[in-house]
Amino acid sequence: MRKVEPSRLRAFLASVRLSLLLFLADPQWVIPATIAPVIFGFAAFELYQGSGATLVLYAILGAGMMSMWGQTLYGAGWATGQDRELGTLEPTLSTPTSYLWVVFGRIVVNAVTGLVGGLVVFAVVSFAYPHPLPLHAPVEFVLLFAFVLVTLASVGLVLSAVYVYTRYAGFINNFGEFGFYIITGSMFPVVLLPFWTSPIALLLPPTWALDALRYASLPGYAGFGWGFTGDILGAVGTMLVYLAAAGSVYHRVEQHVLTVGNLQEY
Amino acid sequence: MSPTIVRAPNLLRVLWTNAVFAPRTTLGFMRIDYVLGTVLIVPFTQMLFFAVVAQLAGNPSAPVAFVVLGNAVAPVTYSSIFSVCQTTDSEKHQGTMEHLLVSPTNRAALYLGRGFLPILTSMATLVVGLLYAAFLFHVPFAAGSAGSLAITIGLLSVSMVGFGLLLGGVALFLRTSIILGNIFLFIGLLLSGANFPVSFLPLPLQWVGYLLPLTWGISAIRATASGAGLMTLLPLWGALLLSTAVTLGLALGLWGVFERQALRTGSIVRF
Repeated sequence: MRKVEPSRLRAFLASVRLSLLLFLADPQWVIPATIAPVIFGFAAFELYQGSGATLVLYAILGAGMMSMWGQTLYGAGWATGQDRELGTLEPTLSTPTSYLWVVFGRIVVNAVTGLVGGLVVFAVVSFAYPHPLPLHAPVEFVLLFAFVLVTLASVGLVLSAVYVYTRYAGFINNFGEFGFYIITGSMFPVVLLPFWTSPIALLLPPTWALDALRYASLPGYAGFGWGFTGDILGAVGTMLVYLAAAGSVYHRVEQHVLTVGNLQEY
Repeated sequence: MSPTIVRAPNLLRVLWTNAVFAPRTTLGFMRIDYVLGTVLIVPFTQMLFFAVVAQLAGNPSAPVAFVVLGNAVAPVTYSSIFSVCQTTDSEKHQGTMEHLLVSPTNRAALYLGRGFLPILTSMATLVVGLLYAAFLFHVPFAAGSAGSLAITIGLLSVSMVGFGLLLGGVALFLRTSIILGNIFLFIGLLLSGANFPVSFLPLPLQWVGYLLPLTWGISAIRATASGAGLMTLLPLWGALLLSTAVTLGLALGLWGVFERQALRTGSIVRF
């Protein structure tokens, strides 16, 4: 008898659709995750606007990036936590499709809704700033922004996998948020940070992707010495490691729940 | 049969009971790991983030020391406003609000007692933030400013918790306090002069900024650090005291209003 493989894409799309519907049903929940990036974006704009249009772009870009980060962290934290609270974790894990694809759909939607924060800052800054913004290569900018989003989602996947095993998801979200913003250089080039922080920063795919985005869109940007191509290669490489790690951890989680059956009582 | 003795609840006992129990039951961010995170991690990361932004900006009106000091003070909103405003929300979620509303307990003691521990954690957050500013970011403090700093820290902590209790009063009427808490958790970074002078803002936003106790607290801390005299500090301390009186009065007023509405309609706990 032929074994029928469950469709991962179908599970992923269904998860995206449901997450989107849940978001539209109660969109107020975008506020807790994006209010901080929006406020930081405005604060940075106030500081940067006297120093030229390029730095103003930093503020907009940073707000968008941080907003997606915030939503990704929040979404990753809740991706399994909510299943636990509602008692749907074990039934979902017992379906033929890997849980990874269900979580991935949720995280992607969260990261996309994080764009709201960036758009708010962009709209207000465009209105308030009297000079044109020197955005080079807008098409590349959009593509690379989407790429940054995917790298964020890969980190979100790993975090959500780790969160299955810990009660500290809320703690990491609340107190790690600023740390993530700093270490990935969301509002400034990472090279401004002390040198010893660079290896930690480079462990995160969004650091590479954001540097590539700035190389492509900011005139005269001086980031990592290996330039745009090195950034893209680094982002793809680290992202693949993250995806492999997430896949491995989720596989272990599924084995664990089938063997021990105490996942609900972590 | 012995007569039933009905004893009026002791005011201080209610105050103390709420001070002790609220952190374990209804206040947000009160687990020990969260308290340590609020006191030790948030000030450092927030100061570092905005210090690098200020360094890159090179804005002469908001130098790094100015921004660092503002962000040494601003994290106090976590332990005061964000933690405290959840107290009424939690009562509703836990299904204990009905019992509170029918108890004969003095409302002022019941509500204000909840602010006791957040005042202490707020003071700890401010002290740690200022220590980071002095020793990690090398912000200069005027010699002999310790006494004035202590007074400012005390007044600011009380007034911020008062503001949190006021938001908690508003949250009595809301479905959730998290949205409100998050907005006021961060809005101070924009309107209080933590990162740039309040004068940078459009006039209406400046007025809103001056309604926040954080604005006066940050001004008082900066004035103290620069060695300002009593003539400068007294009006700032006065503003913090006034803010405390107004917010606590409004908070208790809101309790009265919503309690009457709850007893009349029986709907307040159905958030």
